[in-house]
Amino acid sequence: MTSPRTQELIEHWRDQPAPLLSLLHALHDRDGFLSDGVLREVARGLRAPLADLYGTVTFYHHFARFPPGKSAPRVCTGPVCRLRGADALLDELRKDGATPMACSGRCDEPIPVLTGDEVHVGVDSASLVNRPTPLPAVRPDGGEECVFGGIRDAGRAKLAGYGGWAALERAVREQSSEQVIATITDSGLAGRGGACFLTGTKWNAVLEAPGEPKTIVCNADEGEPGCFKDRVLLDHDPHAVLEGMALAAYATGATQGFVYLRYEYPQTMPILEAAIAEAEAVGLLGERILGSDFSFRIHVRRGAGAYICGEEGSLLNSLEGKHPFPRNRPPFPVTHGYNDKPTVVNNVETLASAPPIVRNGAEWYRGLGLGDHAGTKLISLSGDIARPGNYEVPIGLPLRTLLDDWAGGAPGGKAIKAVTMAGLSGGFLAGDDFAVTLDEPSIRARGSFLGAGGIIVYDETRDMVVAAHDVMKFFAHESCGKCFPCRIGTQRLTERLAGEAGPASLADWQSEVVDIGTTMKATSACGLGMAAPLVTESLLRCFPEEVEKHLGA
Amino acid sequence: MTTLTIDGQQQSFTPGETIYEIAERAHADIPTLCYDPRLKAFGACRLCVVEVEGVRNPVASCTAKATDGMVVRTATPTIDKHRKTLLELVASENREVDVDPLRGYASQELAMLVDRYDARTGRFRGKASGKSQETDQNPFILRDYDLCISCYRCVRVCAEQEGDHAISVRNRGFETQITVEFDGDLKSGTCTFCGQCVQTCPTGALADRKAIRATELPGPIEKARTVCPYCGVGCSVDLQAKGGKLVGVLPAMDGPANEGALCIKGQFAFDFVQHPDRLASPLVRREDGELHPASWDEALDRAAGGFMKARDMHGRHSVYAVASGRAPHEAAYAVQKFIRVGFMTNQVDNCSRA
Ligand SMILES: Cc1cc2nc3c(=O)[nH]c(=O)nc-3n(C[C@H](O)[C@H](O)[C@H](O)COP(=O)(O)O)c2cc1C
Ligand code: SF4
Ligand code: SF4
Ligand code: SF4
Ligand code: FES
Repeated sequence: MTSPRTQELIEHWRDQPAPLLSLLHALHDRDGFLSDGVLREVARGLRAPLADLYGTVTFYHHFARFPPGKSAPRVCTGPVCRLRGADALLDELRKDGATPMACSGRCDEPIPVLTGDEVHVGVDSASLVNRPTPLPAVRPDGGEECVFGGIRDAGRAKLAGYGGWAALERAVREQSSEQVIATITDSGLAGRGGACFLTGTKWNAVLEAPGEPKTIVCNADEGEPGCFKDRVLLDHDPHAVLEGMALAAYATGATQGFVYLRYEYPQTMPILEAAIAEAEAVGLLGERILGSDFSFRIHVRRGAGAYICGEEGSLLNSLEGKHPFPRNRPPFPVTHGYNDKPTVVNNVETLASAPPIVRNGAEWYRGLGLGDHAGTKLISLSGDIARPGNYEVPIGLPLRTLLDDWAGGAPGGKAIKAVTMAGLSGGFLAGDDFAVTLDEPSIRARGSFLGAGGIIVYDETRDMVVAAHDVMKFFAHESCGKCFPCRIGTQRLTERLAGEAGPASLADWQSEVVDIGTTMKATSACGLGMAAPLVTESLLRCFPEEVEKHLGA
Repeated sequence: MTTLTIDGQQQSFTPGETIYEIAERAHADIPTLCYDPRLKAFGACRLCVVEVEGVRNPVASCTAKATDGMVVRTATPTIDKHRKTLLELVASENREVDVDPLRGYASQELAMLVDRYDARTGRFRGKASGKSQETDQNPFILRDYDLCISCYRCVRVCAEQEGDHAISVRNRGFETQITVEFDGDLKSGTCTFCGQCVQTCPTGALADRKAIRATELPGPIEKARTVCPYCGVGCSVDLQAKGGKLVGVLPAMDGPANEGALCIKGQFAFDFVQHPDRLASPLVRREDGELHPASWDEALDRAAGGFMKARDMHGRHSVYAVASGRAPHEAAYAVQKFIRVGFMTNQVDNCSRA
């Protein structure tokens, strides 16, 4: 059974960099699902073992194996959408074959429904609309911004509206790799994707690592529930992200780049492709950029529905067409990244920060933070809050200032009972914790972390055990299954929060939940399993009486 | 020279070695479930975690390379508590922990560790993982995934040792399921029924279907080392006998030619030994044209007569012997001796050479 079209697609993609996901998407787009016959042809065409290909396809939530597949609606039932009644919308759309999907990065909007390659948002089926990503509100205190500095300018997504790649031009014409890296290092910019690793140090490690070709990966997987900051950057300021990648490439000697874009952002794909085409047309990407001997190309690769593919090792395996388990570390991507060659993996926000830093200088960026803190951080604020959305805050801003003064507190004059940190990965802050300032040292002192900067707000009426269950269910659903503590631990914690299994007495319940959490934190193979128990830990710390009530019920 | 300290002992090592490899040399008995020394370390079970001075979290010793001056503790109360919790967790996802050792070479690993860490506590009860593939009726491999703990040893041995890539992983997280393409039977894919996956499985989830026919036979399992007669590779095997019967074959992990590998013949093709159709006494064709049971003397006289006749009429090269791969090595030896010395010809072969 050889359908020539499939063969054409295989032949087109086979010799491209990182072909598997793109090829599978091309076939999935064509048929709406990936049939046995198609997978057999792909396995043959790419000389990949069929059993492995089949297994890997089943790893991704958005690859359908049977009709109706891609055309059936998927309703976000992430933690924020559930606060807004996602379950009812899902029930309403079941007649059209709707299924649930994990948080799809639109927590600042009504409930998103993904159908084919279109996202509609609404609270019920009658109100669903397809509309562009909302722009961030103007910073309430009028302070200076870095990544949001120009995002509200008209025509910003076009090269002319963006104002050309001035930072790259300056770097290529006037600066060495080392000078660019020194600026980034001096600015204090640290990874905005969660791990807070110093960006200049990372770039320098790739510059110094032997092996070619070197690669820049822009991590646009943004899978953390409650995080939707990368989407606004990609949709409204794509040139900032691409220019940041080019700066990273110039600084490290990389010649190829990938944007790994999460599946749930279909509207972003054409925006990125148009921006890349514009940059190529004027010689800002491609061979001999600006007449120098620096060459760099960017390819966009689309994920297929897996939170773990935002973890850098898993992302690299996914790009390489392997089963997307995280990799054992060390070695790290800076020496053994894409195809085991030196690779920068940076978050969208990190990369978008680089051009303004190179344009305005390290001191300027450092000065944007409060006190000793350098720079700014995007916070995605959602849940029970009057003005949800993305805010660029100076690092060190008091949490209460953001919640009450900038975002208007909980709607209806209710009190805020708890917030999550790092999307979900930081667990809950409540009570005394509200005294924190938005910087890693302050939040880490509470046993949590700022991470990618998602904050979900729960007002006084919310049941925190239900909230914790939503969170743990997400981690269980997204655990890759590689390591025992996380694969089994997230499941057991979910069951205990749901009241489906586990001891009835508080002491025994607590002892099981604490033991599982302690071992997950200490022994899990990646950040997912290490972070997931912060939820139960903070639940027991902040809301023991709610746990007791849950067990009594 | 590079050295590190393991449990207070100085050990020298070659750069590139993992903490686990060095610890093993130092006889520190670090528990593992996803580890098979023949495979690339994978880092799934996390039982091998150790304390490394100056590192906040425990370190998986199977994947961590040693560095000069490292100070490692392989069994602190904290580490042992993590191990116990991990074992309690893994025991909670299975139908049972205790399985017949006839299931496979490594089948007792989980039960032994659960005992060693006193993890038969029944804690962490909840949903079970893995689903047995009852519809796969192949005669060799039982796929009892109710007992699977997703250590991926089977997947890795099939890919890395056999190069067959017959098995893989469906879904993820707690829904992980060992499978083949399109969830079919083993024979629908690239499986060669070498049994390597069975022998590396630490829980008996993959089991030797032939061997477990003998589960109910009385008596202990006895083992005898020999060499597989089927071909010239010379794989070492341990034959398993129970109740006076040959019941199964285990690959010898220390076999110099095979290092634990076998193929379908050495692993599974032994039924002829005790087959009811097997001759129990010599048969001789009499005047009626039929075969009749006969004494050894009669049979040997007849055979010798035939050989002599052929040699006398057509010379010493008129004789050619092919020894059977199903006969023991001693018989193969005797056949070549008989032909070479008895007939002065080198026209002798063995069916396994082909
Ligand atoms: C489970 C998990 C999910 C992650 N998801 C993302 C993600 O969606 N986007 C991202 O930029 N980083 C994510 N990370 C962090 C990346 O592994 C990596 O640290 C980051 O992309 C590095 O970029 P940065 O230094 O610019 O932050 C995730 C990490 C873990 C453990
Ligand atoms: S911690 Fe979870 S997500 Fe990470 S490797 Fe282990 S199973 Fe996979
Ligand atoms: S029997 Fe051999 S070939 Fe078949 S699945 Fe097991 S390891 Fe692979
Ligand atoms: S079947 Fe056995 S070897 Fe394979 S993953 Fe499961 S427990 Fe491990
Ligand atoms: S042996 Fe190291 S993780 Fe299993």
